[in-house]
Amino acid sequence: MALRGIRTEHGLEGGELEALLGDRSALDHLFSVTYEELRHLASSVRRSDPNASLSPTTLVNEAWLKLRNSPRLAGVSRLHFKRIAARAMRQVLVEAARRRKAQKRGGGLAIATFDDAVAEPPSGADQLLGLEAALEALARLEPRQALVVESRFFGGFDVAESAELLGVSEATVLRDWRSAKAWLARELRRAS
Amino acid sequence: MNAARWEQIQALFHEVADLPDPAQRASLEAQCAEDPTLMTEVLSLLEQDARGDSLLDRDAAHVAAEVLDEGIPPALLDQTFGPYRLKQALGQGGMGVVYLAEREDLGSVAAIKILRDAWLSPDRRERFASEQRTLAQLNHPAIARLYDADTLPDGTPWFVMEYVEGVPLTEFCEQHASSIPERLRLFRAVCEAVEHAHRHLIVHRDLKPSNILVKPDGSVKLLDFGIAKQLDSLEGPVDRTRTGLRLMTPAYAAPEQILGDPVGIHTDIYTLGVVLYELLTGRLPFDLSNRTPGEAETAIIKQGRERPSAAAKEKSISRRAWADLDVLCLTAMHIEPQRRYRTVEALIRDIDHYLAGEPLEARPDTFGYRIGKFVRRNWQPVSAAAASLLVVVSLVVFYTVRLATARNAAVAEAGRTQRIQRFMLNLFQGGDEAVGPADSLRVVTLLDRGVQEAQALDGEPAVQAELRETLGSIYQKLGKLERADSLLGAALDQRRSLFGPDNAEVARSLVALGRLRVDQAQDEEAERLAREGLEMSKRQLRPNDPAIASATLALGQILEDRGRYAEAIEVLEEAVRLRRAAGGPPTPELASSLRELANTHYYAGHLAVADSLDRLILGMTRQLNGERHPLVAEDLINLGAVQQEWGHYQEAERYYRQALDITQAFYGPNHYKTAAGLTVLGRALRFEPHGNDEAGRLLQQALAIRERVFGKVHPQVASTLNDLGGVALARGRFDEAEALAKRVLAIYRTVYGRKHAFTGVGVANLASVYLKHNQYSQAEPLFREAIGIFTETQGAEHLNTGIARIKLGRTLLRQHRYAEAVGETLAGYEILAKRTDRGVSWLVDARKDLVAAYDALGQPEKAARFRAELADSAEKAANAAKRN
Repeated sequence: MALRGIRTEHGLEGGELEALLGDRSALDHLFSVTYEELRHLASSVRRSDPNASLSPTTLVNEAWLKLRNSPRLAGVSRLHFKRIAARAMRQVLVEAARRRKAQKRGGGLAIATFDDAVAEPPSGADQLLGLEAALEALARLEPRQALVVESRFFGGFDVAESAELLGVSEATVLRDWRSAKAWLARELRRAS
Repeated sequence: MNAARWEQIQALFHEVADLPDPAQRASLEAQCAEDPTLMTEVLSLLEQDARGDSLLDRDAAHVAAEVLDEGIPPALLDQTFGPYRLKQALGQGGMGVVYLAEREDLGSVAAIKILRDAWLSPDRRERFASEQRTLAQLNHPAIARLYDADTLPDGTPWFVMEYVEGVPLTEFCEQHASSIPERLRLFRAVCEAVEHAHRHLIVHRDLKPSNILVKPDGSVKLLDFGIAKQLDSLEGPVDRTRTGLRLMTPAYAAPEQILGDPVGIHTDIYTLGVVLYELLTGRLPFDLSNRTPGEAETAIIKQGRERPSAAAKEKSISRRAWADLDVLCLTAMHIEPQRRYRTVEALIRDIDHYLAGEPLEARPDTFGYRIGKFVRRNWQPVSAAAASLLVVVSLVVFYTVRLATARNAAVAEAGRTQRIQRFMLNLFQGGDEAVGPADSLRVVTLLDRGVQEAQALDGEPAVQAELRETLGSIYQKLGKLERADSLLGAALDQRRSLFGPDNAEVARSLVALGRLRVDQAQDEEAERLAREGLEMSKRQLRPNDPAIASATLALGQILEDRGRYAEAIEVLEEAVRLRRAAGGPPTPELASSLRELANTHYYAGHLAVADSLDRLILGMTRQLNGERHPLVAEDLINLGAVQQEWGHYQEAERYYRQALDITQAFYGPNHYKTAAGLTVLGRALRFEPHGNDEAGRLLQQALAIRERVFGKVHPQVASTLNDLGGVALARGRFDEAEALAKRVLAIYRTVYGRKHAFTGVGVANLASVYLKHNQYSQAEPLFREAIGIFTETQGAEHLNTGIARIKLGRTLLRQHRYAEAVGETLAGYEILAKRTDRGVSWLVDARKDLVAAYDALGQPEKAARFRAELADSAEKAANAAKRN
């Protein structure tokens, strides 16, 4: 059984994710934890809290600390866990962006002026949805690069961890990251 | 673009990316002479690479900050939440946002919690529902109460709870410069609330001063059961993930929470210890401010605790007293769970000992562990045993445990329904009259949804039957008897086909149907079903099974309703015996069985027995629920009723005033429960000299509340109007009394139809107004109509029939139709004499009427018989009054 919302790519099937975690509810649970951690992050960003650690690395580590003793995660390595958590982060953020856009559209009459139409920069939600579309396109071209982006941007992996996850050298990860980033940035710019 | 092309573009990109600009250009031009698009592609990538300002160069955290809204989208704020409208945000946590809301019809305020981003995962929705379930189960003056719950059309769940205006416990003590005993008394009140939760197998898990508010009147309220845990999984594998679901405040976290070990009541006891530490010393037991999270955790798990006496600035109490406080506090927050207080009750006992200057039960030598040395042991069995001491098997918890053992799928499906049920059952706790029209409408909507869900559970017939039974019982309490009948009947059939004709589950269904038959005025059938169910339970279950006790209680109540008090008393005494046989300290179940027994004695006229039972129950209730619990008010009202029946109106008044005080403090001045308290007090005052004026005022207040809560046409309103009619009559305002009685009758006719016992009461009371004012021609046909209704709906031998016949007799007597009068009065007299104490006022008045009638008929020997009885009952009443 494939997981809804988890697309198949690069050797890690949705079903495998599920198998890694034991069951669907474990994944649900991870989503919840991820979401709440993201909220923490988001609100420390808004408060510009100087003491807050803002990287997804901390976030994923926190989630791992909270969940590692769960019997549902027995047998899941830390690396695999982080891989799943990165996916969860990506999905939570994209879904949130989608919802946010939907609400804007459904939110009654917009008072649109000429200036608005020109001057408004793409919102975070727009950019995130753009990134998601571009990432999917990239996954069709080179799945490994999409995974590098996912693990680093959403999961806070360092280079060594990404290399271990993908079974490639650190130099390859760095190369992948650089070209993928440039390509995605261009796609994003084109879309907006 | 295809993969090969992308490969080609990338290769070139990497080759030239780090070259200085002119070399880069030259290299590109050389390699792209044949393929100008390749050059454009690589150039565009190089441009982005140089800019380095895309989304990916920022942090995911900043993206999150933009995408995850603060608060609730404005569209949601325009919604109404049942009768509530949002006013302002109060705060937000991981799960939801809390708003201050106003109930538009009553003007009262409440707090509404809304689950943010419910779409995210079922897990979140379940956790939100779980908090709501927890609140629904808890009914304690020091715990913020759940009022209502539902979902918005888009599926966003919300619930309404009590709004508490107060300051955090520690802040309150600082502001008031509270003394140590004052702090301990506040802390004790917190312990009572936690103890109440534990009694319902709920562990709070997040106790800290910001979750404990003190109101301006000095009462405490426990908030935020957001990560509370129901301990029903003690029997199964312990779910460790739940322990640290979200960032705990590390300063208050127990070692087991940090280690991911099982959490139980010992966890709350630890945290209470930390709160006490802070209250006594003005600071936390660990200074975690300059530590990393890892260091903080190590401190909590390993580090020894400094004695509060050493940390405290407060030196006003003796060294000796401090030594006790050290033991008390450090026992509660011992690193090893098995060395803490076993229950919150034990902690409370030691606080009481301390306040009374008595020696503590916790001994210093049991806590004389080597500081810093931490031995982890397998203490899980200990904590399980400690928790099971607290187990109170109520229907709801019982049901939950049963469900928990059912298949996962069924549990998931039933989750929502369970939530509804718990909520509902709580709504009705303590009274059937609880629901006004607006609310009951909402309740029915929820229930109908529950029924639909039950129907969808075809694969789980046992669970389905369970749901049907619960829903049926709720419909019954709402007065939807037909619906209740079909649900309870379906549950019975289902269980019979699942388990066979002779089975404990079938027995439970029989008893539930029996209870329903009482409301349907099918008394014989009610009794038959209850007896059959009880016998079956006894055959199928171990003698000490709680189901037998509750079936026995049901039979007792049915017999009580049938007016067969002697038998009812016998059966209820058995129910009490069964509850007691379980041993241990008094339970709420024992108290409620005793309460039923006391009521039966009261109705049977055994006032002295009822009185002593009531006192016993009051003591129990106070012990179980605290001094200011609504159940205490209920017990006080029962005590008052006995006093009133004895004619000790001032005593009755005193009890009623105490009860009203508690009720008002608990529910506020505009609650329907307060209206009930005002009504009983008003009734008692009517019997006191000059009491009618205050009675009238109180009843008017009650009327205003009830009209607002229930609407103008509601039995509750009718009942108050009826009492006001009595006041008007006593003040000699006949026209007012007549108008009120007519309104009462009109309400009953509208609500119940022409053939209903209540309509009968309305008719009879209007007749009584006419009788009082000597308008016999108007009284007589009404009394006859009432007798007809009572005979048909309640039976020829019912008390109401008897009373109405006595009054009809009097109406005839006043018209000098003596022979007819004797017929009616005597018939009524015999009905009452069989069922009530010989001293009740109706019998005394009937005897007087009979004496007068027989005298007028020239039958002196018959008159003499009733004269003698009159003298006899007067003497008994005098003796009884002296004794009491």
